[in-house]
Formats: sequence, structure tokens, C-alpha cells
Amino acid sequence: MIGAGFAFSILPTLRRVYEGDPEGLKEAVNRHSEHFNAHPYLANLALGAVCRMEMDGKAPEEIRRFKLAVRGPLGSLGDSLVWAGWRPVTVLASLVLALAGASPGATVLFFLLTYNLGHLLLRVGGFAVGLARGSQVGDPLRKLSLPHQADRLAAMAVFFLGSVLGLVIGRGWTFGVSVLPWGAMVGLGLILGSRLGQGSWRWTLWAVSGLCGAIFLIGWIA
Amino acid sequence: MGDPFVLILLGGFLALDDTSVGQFMVSRPLVAGTITGWVLGDPFLGLLVGGLIELYFIPVFPVGGSDFPEGGPPTLVGVVAAIAVPGAGGIALGVVVGLLWSRLAAVSIHLLRKANGRIMPDPTRGVVSSKRIVRAHLTCVGLDFFRGSALTALGLGFARWASSALPGLWPLSPSLTLGILILGAAIPAGAFVRSLGGWRKRGVLFAAGAGGFLIASVLL
Repeated sequence: MIGAGFAFSILPTLRRVYEGDPEGLKEAVNRHSEHFNAHPYLANLALGAVCRMEMDGKAPEEIRRFKLAVRGPLGSLGDSLVWAGWRPVTVLASLVLALAGASPGATVLFFLLTYNLGHLLLRVGGFAVGLARGSQVGDPLRKLSLPHQADRLAAMAVFFLGSVLGLVIGRGWTFGVSVLPWGAMVGLGLILGSRLGQGSWRWTLWAVSGLCGAIFLIGWIA
Repeated sequence: MGDPFVLILLGGFLALDDTSVGQFMVSRPLVAGTITGWVLGDPFLGLLVGGLIELYFIPVFPVGGSDFPEGGPPTLVGVVAAIAVPGAGGIALGVVVGLLWSRLAAVSIHLLRKANGRIMPDPTRGVVSSKRIVRAHLTCVGLDFFRGSALTALGLGFARWASSALPGLWPLSPSLTLGILILGAAIPAGAFVRSLGGWRKRGVLFAAGAGGFLIASVLL
């Protein structure tokens, strides 16, 4: 969530706080349009807290300092908790379910329900905690020990990734595919990927596309 | 190939879910692929293509202003292409088209961000009214919907061409095709393990998952 999004989201509260004071409303909208950047789910925590501060009539400079202080930590915490944790865990668990024989409907439903349970808990719960605690939102966050939870989620994601690949190879075996050579090649792919790092998805995408294009071309020539 | 109007609308909604509105992850390849498959009458193929694309995207986190692949409209286009070309070639084509369209989508997102920067009022250049914030916000959301729809329409055009030009050209068996695609997905998967702590820290958990489920799938 960035500056203009923050201003858009806080508008209903500002309209209530500055009812009958159009100049005050304009000034407040302007203040909240300033640069802000945090994880879209955890930004609700800051949003709730700023709503409380506005309703309590805190000084604009204090609110600005609060927003500056929380945006970085909320951004990095959300990235590790959601993008690198909860989302891969739920996606990979759903793939395990699909490979175990679940129907497409059950797979998708499982993913959407589990993912959005965590998602909405963060958004709605974060906003409620922010609204209740105002600038003191740090205390309940520390009690939840979210970085530790993010590490646990990362461990679960790796476990489910292994499970997906194990199931894929096992399924191949049941369909008569030689497990050893394919398993070895997948292992080599994993090692190559871990050596090359996160950017490897980009050139893998081009390499696989080029290979498939070449196979289509061979089929056309033959 | 289904009703193009419905698919273009679906592409627009999937683009919105990716960033602008909600982020309920309906736009993830796994979900977008299955939904498109449903619309076109083959949810299993949709799940297969979406699931494979999902594995290629697993190490990518939309952190800050990083370049990340879009999942929704590209997977939709991939599934349409997969259904247009019957057999194993359709699966390969669907995954490849989905991956390539995700790069095209990344370019369109970059352009959209530039446009958003121009549309959004700058508070340092004067007072920003609440009406202007709402108008600018809704315009940006509308532009994102249009971007997703246009990307989908372009993909439908490609799938129409593929349905007449490519059937029968893929010489490989389904198992070999899936093997190649999974082999490709193993590389981003390795990168994913590295970004979450590496093999030394997470290797045992990975091996437990892989070994446990491999044995279970063979025995059961």
C-alpha cells in the first residue's frame, strides 16, 4: 500500500474527524497522500493505528513520525510472513492435495480458504489491533513474535516443496516412468537453482520456452 | 475456445486481484488455471497447466518495486492455448505461453506503474482534495482492469492461431513432456530453498517431505 492508497483508505475516518471543516480535511488528505510503503496486508495495522491517532486528535507531526517509523518494519515483516511464508505454504500444500488425487475444485477451494483465512486474519485483525492500541501497536506485535512465525512458515514451505517433488516422482513411477534418471535430473536442477539463486526463474523461463519452441520446430520439419 | 467476451472479462478481474483489488489470490496460476479450465470445460488440464506455472513462480516474491511475473491473465491465456492444441503438445504450449505472457504482463505492469505515477496527485505540488484522490484511485484501478483484459485479448488471438497451426507438431509423449516441464521447474524450486535458508538449514525437512511422499505414493 502506497501514499495515495493510504489516503484513499483513511478517507472515511478523516471525513468523520473533520466534519464541517473542509480546510482541515484537505490538509489531512494532503498529509496522508505523502509517501508511504508497507506490505498491503500489514499496512492495515498502521491504518488502524493512524485512524485512532486522528480520532484522538494527535498532532500531525506525531502521526507523520509514527507512519515513518512503522512502514519499513511492516513491509519487511509482511514480505517474510506472507509472500515468503504463508502463500508458498498454502500453494504447495494445495499442490500436494492435487497430486494425492483431490479434484480440481477441492484443490482450489482448499487453497482459497486456507490462504484467505490467514490473509483476512492479518487484515481485519491488524486493523482492529491498530484501532484499539493507536501508536502503541508495537506491544501486541512483539508478543506474537511474528519473525519467529515467519521462520516456521519458511520451514513448512520447504517441507511441502519436497513433498510435491516426491509425489511427482512417485506418480511418474506408477505410470512406468524411470524414477532414477528423472529423479537424478530433478536433483541436479534443484542444485543448479540453489547455486544460481532467485533470479534463475527468469532464464529458466526463457530456456524452457526455447526448448519447447525447438521441439515444435523439429516436429514441423519432420 | 469459449466465449471470448467472458474470457476477456475474467482476464480483467484476475489482473485486478493480482495487485489493485483484494489480493485474494484468485489470480495465482493454480486458481486462475483451474477456473479457466472450468470455463472451457476441462478443469483438470487447467489445474495441470496452472500447477506447473505455479512451480516456476514459487521463488518469486513481490517485494518492493521488484520485477515479478503476473499469474492471472497469463495463466488464463496458457490454459486457452493448451485446450486449443490437443495432446501433450497442448500441455507444453500452455505452460510456455503462460510463462512468456507473464513477461509481457511484467512489461505492461511497468507501464501501468508509470501511468499511475502521472495520474496520482503529488502532495508536494499543492493541496490534494479528497475528490481528486478518489477519482485518481478509481482511474488507476480501471486502467489495471483494461490492462488485464487487453493482455487476455492478445493471448486469445495467439491461441486462435495456435489452434490451426500447431496441432500434430509435438513429437514427444505425455510423460516425456511432463518430465521436461518438471525438470525446468526444479531450477526455480532450488532457488526457492536457497532463499528460505538454504540446504544446510532446510535440507532435512526437504528430504523428509520428498522421501516420505515418494514412498507413500509408491506404496499406496
